[in-house]
Amino acid sequence: MTTRRSLAAGAALATAAALLAACAPGSGSDGGETTPVEASEVRTDLASLGEVTLTVWDQEVRGGQDEQMQRLNDAFEEAYPNITIERNSQSFDDLETTLRGALTGNEAPDVVQANNSRGTMGAFVSAGLLLNLDRYAEAYGWKERFSDDVLAVSRYSEDGVTFGEGSLYGLPQVGEIVGVFYSRSALEQVASEDELLSGDFDTFTDILARAADAGLTPIQLGNIEGWPAGHVFGPIQAQHVPADQVRALAMGNAGASWLSEENVAAATELADWSTSGYFNDGANGTDYDAAWSDFASGDGVFTIGGSWLAADLQDAMGADVGFYVPASADGTLATTGGTGLPFAVTAQSPNADAAAGYIDFITSDEAMEVLADTGNMPVNQTAELAPADGVNADVFAAFGAVTTDGHLLPYLDWATPTMGDTLGATLQDLIAGQATPQEAMQQLEDDYSAFTSGS
Amino acid sequence: MTTSRAETAMNYLLLVVVCAFALGPIVVVLVTSLQPDLGGGGIAWGNYAEAWSQGSFARYLRTSALVSATVLVVALTASVLAGYAFGTMTFRGSTVVFSLVLVGIMVPTEAIVVPLFYDLRTLGLTNTLWAVAFPQMAQSIAFGSYWMRAYFRTAPRSLMEAARLDGASERRVLWSILVPVGRPAIVTMTVLVFMWTWNEFLIPLVMSPNGAYRTAPLALALFQGQHVQATSLLAAAAVLVALPVVVVYLFLQRHFIRGMLEGAVRE
Amino acid sequence: MTPRWRPWLYLVPAIVVYGAFLLYPIGRSVQFSLYEWDGLGASEFVGLANYLGVLTDAGLRAAFGHALVLIAFFALLPLALGLAVAAVLNRARVRGLGLFRTVVFVPQVLAMVVVAVAWRAIYAPDGPLNTALTAVGLDSLTRAWLGDYTWTLPAVGIVGTWVQTGLVTVLMLAGMARVPREQYEAARLDGAGPVREFVALTLPSVRGEIAVALTLTIVAALKTFDLVYVMTAGGPGNSTTVPAYEVFQRAFRTGQVGSAAAVAITLTVLIFGLNLVINRLVEPREDR
Repeated sequence: MTTRRSLAAGAALATAAALLAACAPGSGSDGGETTPVEASEVRTDLASLGEVTLTVWDQEVRGGQDEQMQRLNDAFEEAYPNITIERNSQSFDDLETTLRGALTGNEAPDVVQANNSRGTMGAFVSAGLLLNLDRYAEAYGWKERFSDDVLAVSRYSEDGVTFGEGSLYGLPQVGEIVGVFYSRSALEQVASEDELLSGDFDTFTDILARAADAGLTPIQLGNIEGWPAGHVFGPIQAQHVPADQVRALAMGNAGASWLSEENVAAATELADWSTSGYFNDGANGTDYDAAWSDFASGDGVFTIGGSWLAADLQDAMGADVGFYVPASADGTLATTGGTGLPFAVTAQSPNADAAAGYIDFITSDEAMEVLADTGNMPVNQTAELAPADGVNADVFAAFGAVTTDGHLLPYLDWATPTMGDTLGATLQDLIAGQATPQEAMQQLEDDYSAFTSGS
Repeated sequence: MTTSRAETAMNYLLLVVVCAFALGPIVVVLVTSLQPDLGGGGIAWGNYAEAWSQGSFARYLRTSALVSATVLVVALTASVLAGYAFGTMTFRGSTVVFSLVLVGIMVPTEAIVVPLFYDLRTLGLTNTLWAVAFPQMAQSIAFGSYWMRAYFRTAPRSLMEAARLDGASERRVLWSILVPVGRPAIVTMTVLVFMWTWNEFLIPLVMSPNGAYRTAPLALALFQGQHVQATSLLAAAAVLVALPVVVVYLFLQRHFIRGMLEGAVRE
Repeated sequence: MTPRWRPWLYLVPAIVVYGAFLLYPIGRSVQFSLYEWDGLGASEFVGLANYLGVLTDAGLRAAFGHALVLIAFFALLPLALGLAVAAVLNRARVRGLGLFRTVVFVPQVLAMVVVAVAWRAIYAPDGPLNTALTAVGLDSLTRAWLGDYTWTLPAVGIVGTWVQTGLVTVLMLAGMARVPREQYEAARLDGAGPVREFVALTLPSVRGEIAVALTLTIVAALKTFDLVYVMTAGGPGNSTTVPAYEVFQRAFRTGQVGSAAAVAITLTVLIFGLNLVINRLVEPREDR
C-alpha cells in the first residue's frame, strides 16, 4: 500500500531536509542596524540631492484619499524635478502581510505608511527596520507643527519596548476620531437634537433606552469582523476609566490592568447595552458596511464609528446625518481616535534625506489645505480648515475640541501584536453574552500581561 | 429488473431534490447578481459591467490566466517526462523517488507556504510570477507524475516495441507516439491543473503581498471587504470569477469527474 | 538497454521543481517549528515548545476541535447522504443520470472563495435563508447565522456538506454500478428487502469507494481555509477558527512564525495519519 510507504519516505525526507537547511529562520535576513543620523548629515535642501527615485507605499486608495495623494505627489515632483516618486498604493486589508514582507525584502521602499500599533510600527522599530526621525524633526520643526499627543502615538523607544515616548518614527497626514453619528429624522421621534447635544453621556444612554422602547434600532452595529465593537467599547471605556490608564493599556505599556473596577464597569455597560436591545439583532453576524448602510437608509437612530465614515454617510444621507462626541458628567470630552497611518522612512533607504523631505512636504500647512479640500480631515489646523456645513463640519469641530481640551485615546488594538484578534473575539463574546464582563476583561488582561511581562 | 412504478417516480423526485440542493445556492447568486439597485426594476445586466470595472477584474482575470498558463505549461511538460520515466523504465531508486512524489499529493499547502514566503522574501522573489506559480507547479507535478505514470504503464507496449524496432529514439517514441495516443489522460490532467490553479487562494494571497500578482479569487475576497454595499455587485463579481472554470467544466465534464474520482483511487 | 542515467534525464525537471518548492519547504517548516521567530528579527531555538503549545494553547486546541466538527459535515454527512441517494437510484433504472452527475458535481469546480461569498450572502441577517424561513412562518428560527456562537460552525460545515455531497454521490454511483444486476435479482428472489440488500450486497461492493470518499473529504475538511477566511474570519469570538486559519494568522499577521509552522506540521501529520487509518479500516485484506 502506497500510503504507508510514502509516509516513511516523507518522514525520512523531512528530517534530511531539515538537516540540510543549515541556517536558522531569520538569520539570513538581518534587519540591518539603524545608523544614527547626525544633525550635520541631515540635508533639507532637496533640490541639491541629485537624481533620486523615491518609492512610496501608501494605503490611500479611497476616493478623496487617493486624490489628495496624487495632488501632493504632483506638487512635490513639480517643486523638485530631480526627484521622481514611484507610488505603490494598496488597500488597508493587506497592510500587515504586505509591510512585513516588504520591509525585510531586498528592495525595500523608501517611505511606507505603517500602522502605529505594536504589531506593526512597534515590531519594525524593534527589528531596526525604521529610521529614527528625531534629527529631521529638529531640522524641519515638526514639534512646532504637530501637537504633542499626535506625535506621541508615533513615538517608540529605540528598542521598541516603550510606546508613546522616545524617538519619532513617522508623521500622519490626517486625524481620526470615533464618535456618534445620528440620524436627525430618527432622533426626532425620541428626543430633540438640542437635548442630545447639550446633554452628557447619561443623556445619550437615556435616549438609547427611549429609542429601544419606541421600537427603533438604537445603534446600528455590524460586528462580524470583530474590530467594529472596539470603536463602541472605546467611547464607553473613556467614560469609566482614567485617560492615563487607557493609554497604558492601549499602548501595551506596563503599569495598568484590564481587571480594574473601572474596566469591568465599562465592559458591564457594553454587555448591558446588548441585553437591553440597544444594538440591531445579530450584530455579531452583520457586516460592518451593511450596518452603516442600513443606518444610512433609515434603520437606526445612531451608529458609533470613525470619522472615515463621514463622507460616505454624507453622500447617502445629506443633511439628515450629524456627528458628536458625548461629554462626561463633568464636561470632559474623551473618546477613541488618533491619526491616519503615519508615513515612515525605512532604515535601509539610501534616500533618507529625500524621504524625510517628502514626508515634510505632504504634512505641511499647504498640504493640510489640499487634504481639507479633498474631503479628508487634516491632522493640523483642523478647526481653521473645517467646512462650513455638513457632517464634516461636526466632525472637524469635535476633533478640534477633543484634541485641544479633551482626551483623544489610542485604539485599543495597538497594545500587542495579537490584541486585534483578542479584542475582536472578546467583544463578540461580551456582546453575545458568552463571557461575563469579568471573564472578558480577564481575556484582555491575559493578552496584555503576557506581552508586557515578556518584553 | 422489476421495479414498481412508485419506486421509479420516487427516484425521479430524489433526482430533482438533490439537483435542487446542488443548484439552489448557485441560482441564488445568479438571481442576486441581476437584481437592480434600490428602487429600480427589471434585470440589471449592468451589474456585471459595474463589478467588472469597480473591481478591476479585467486585470485580475488576466493575472489568473497568466498564472494558470505558466503553471500548466511547466507542470504538464515535467509530469509527462517524469511519468514516462516512472511508467516505462526500470531503474534503481525508482520506487523511492516515486513514493516521495506521492507524499506531495497529500501535503497541505499550509505546510509549505510559511517557509516558502520567508525564504523567497530573503531572495527578493516575492511579488513575482515565479513566487506564485512555482509552488503550484510543484503540487501539480506531484499529482501529474502519478497520473501520467498510470497512463504510461498501461500504454500499449506493442506500439513502443514496434517503434523502437523501426529505430525511433526514446524521445520520438514519447512525443510522436505515446503522447498523441494518451491525449485523454493529458486532457484530464490539463483541466484539473487549470481548475486547481485558477481556484487557488492561499498561495497568491501569501506570495504576492503587494498585489502585483493578485488572482481573480483573491480580488473577489478583497472586493467583498472594500465597502461594497450592493450584494448584487458582489454576486456578479463572484459569477465572473467562477465562469471560466465552469465553462471548461461544461465542455469537458467527463474529464473533471474522471480525474477527480480516479485520481484519488490508489492503485 | 537504456543507459543508467537516461531515466534521470526525464525526471530532472519534475525533481528540481518538486524538490525545491515542495520537499525542501516541508523540511524548512519542520525546522521553523523549532524556533520562536516573529518574522522580522532574530530567531531563538526553543526545541519542541511550539508543539507543546499546540497541545496546551486553548486557542489552538479549539481550532483542532473545530476541524473535527467540520469533518462530520464535510465527510460523514455527505457519505451518509451520498450512500443513501446512490443506493436508491441504483435500485431502479432512471433516465437522466448523466445530467444528474453533471449537476451535482458543479459545487466541486467552483472556487472556494466564490462558494464562501455566495453562502455569506445567503446567511446574511436579511439574506435569502432568513427571508425564506420568514416566508414559511418559521420566524423563530431566523438568526444572524454567522454571528451566533451555536450556529456559525455548523453553518460553515453545511457549506462543506453542500460542496462534497455531489462528489460522494457520483463516486458511490460508480461503485454500485459495478455490481452485476444478476446479484440483485438473486437477492430479491431470496426475498431480501431493500435494507438487507443494501447491507449485504451494496455496501460491501463500495468499500473502496468509501475509503476514497472519506480520504478526499476529510482532507478537504482539515485543509479548510478559504471558507473561514472569507465567511467568518474565525468569529464570532473564536468559535470558527481552524488550524489552517491559525497557520495563516500566526505566520503572517501576529508574528508567531514558529508556532504557525508547528501547527502546519501537526496538521500534515494528522492528514497522513488519518489517511493511513482509513485505508486500514476499510481495506484490511488488500494490505500488500
